[in-house]
Amino acid sequence: MLTATDVKNKVKKYILKETLSDVNQIDDDTLIFETGLLDSMGLLFLIEHLKEEFGVETQDEELVVEHFESIKNIVAFVESKL
Amino acid sequence: MNTTQLKPFSKDILHIENIDAVCDSIIEKLRNDVFHTLQRRGGVVGISGGIDSSVCMALSAKAFGPNKVTGIMLPEQDSSDESRELAQELADKFGVGTLVEDITTALDGFGCYRRRDEAISRVIPDFDPDIDKAKIEIKQNIGQNLPAIFSITVIKPDGEVISKLLPAKEYLQIVAATNFKQRSRMSMLYYHAERLHYAVIGTPNKHEVEQGFFVKYGDGGADVMPIGHLYKTQVYQLARYLGVPEGIINRTPTTDTYTAEQTQEDFFYQLPFDQMDLIWYGWENNYPAEEVGAVMGKSAEEISNIYKNFERKRKTTEYLRMRPIF
Repeated sequence: MLTATDVKNKVKKYILKETLSDVNQIDDDTLIFETGLLDSMGLLFLIEHLKEEFGVETQDEELVVEHFESIKNIVAFVESKL
Repeated sequence: MNTTQLKPFSKDILHIENIDAVCDSIIEKLRNDVFHTLQRRGGVVGISGGIDSSVCMALSAKAFGPNKVTGIMLPEQDSSDESRELAQELADKFGVGTLVEDITTALDGFGCYRRRDEAISRVIPDFDPDIDKAKIEIKQNIGQNLPAIFSITVIKPDGEVISKLLPAKEYLQIVAATNFKQRSRMSMLYYHAERLHYAVIGTPNKHEVEQGFFVKYGDGGADVMPIGHLYKTQVYQLARYLGVPEGIINRTPTTDTYTAEQTQEDFFYQLPFDQMDLIWYGWENNYPAEEVGAVMGKSAEEISNIYKNFERKRKTTEYLRMRPIF
């Protein structure tokens, strides 16, 4: 059973790897699209990663900024679907 | 932000006042670019029956003389018959000779249709390419601050619509496969251009160039782009001034790329052209979102999010505009 901390660590590790960022550059509230860390392909690969890593499928109507704008929001979205 | 030197933002701000002088200037530049800079004897234009290629052909006919322009229609199995009829009407109006090069066989050889349909079937197993129609589209509202993601939509013969978000692998395969269309057209245009010692006249407008709505080495492959600096509504203004047939002017711009009907707004822009032109102008000239929003009947937040969308599109498509690095 994944804990909230496990989910957060996995999401953060993925975001850091994809954006080639230093751990000090991104915190849980950093706006990853607003700051240009990820683009549309980045979002697409993130959605795919959530499916592979957590079995979480994103539906059309769930593609809203509130679910994806920061690590904190992504974690909350994943947890709501687990 | 200092906006004292900007004209007050208005819905007429992109209207070309001196259309005759602007047209003359574009024609003169095109003539000089092709005859002197490029040292070619005329131009070939791929004509689709759309507004951009029609204006480019009309400008070319005036710049070089109709006998030094060849209009080339490049249909394939997914093209609409209307496209060809309108393109012929245009060429007849301007006295330009035409050629028809059906590229279906070439595309079949590349596996364009097979590779595209395989990817669609992986997402929608019920898809039957022989009877169903398909397109990809962006369903999100441009006003929300999230990058655009494509969905695949399949329309069954009975009208049933099936739509699913496209996974990365399938999205990339569908785009890569359909890009054979633009790249095959570019190859054929260069065949005729080289055969005639002509230049290839590219048809992208300002939005296509700057937002990256073109295929690298496809419709982005050309020698000169006479309307590459014009907003879409300005292209329409030129079309009316030059006498482009009404059937072309009144037609909704489509991609003519997928089997299902698809407007350019659904596919890429997410905004009607009249709104997109004005908001893009506001963005690139640093008009405050509040001022633009007040004119456009939108909130400052929505305009601000659209500005961010434009910024993202320009940034993420920079690769398309880059020349090879060496």
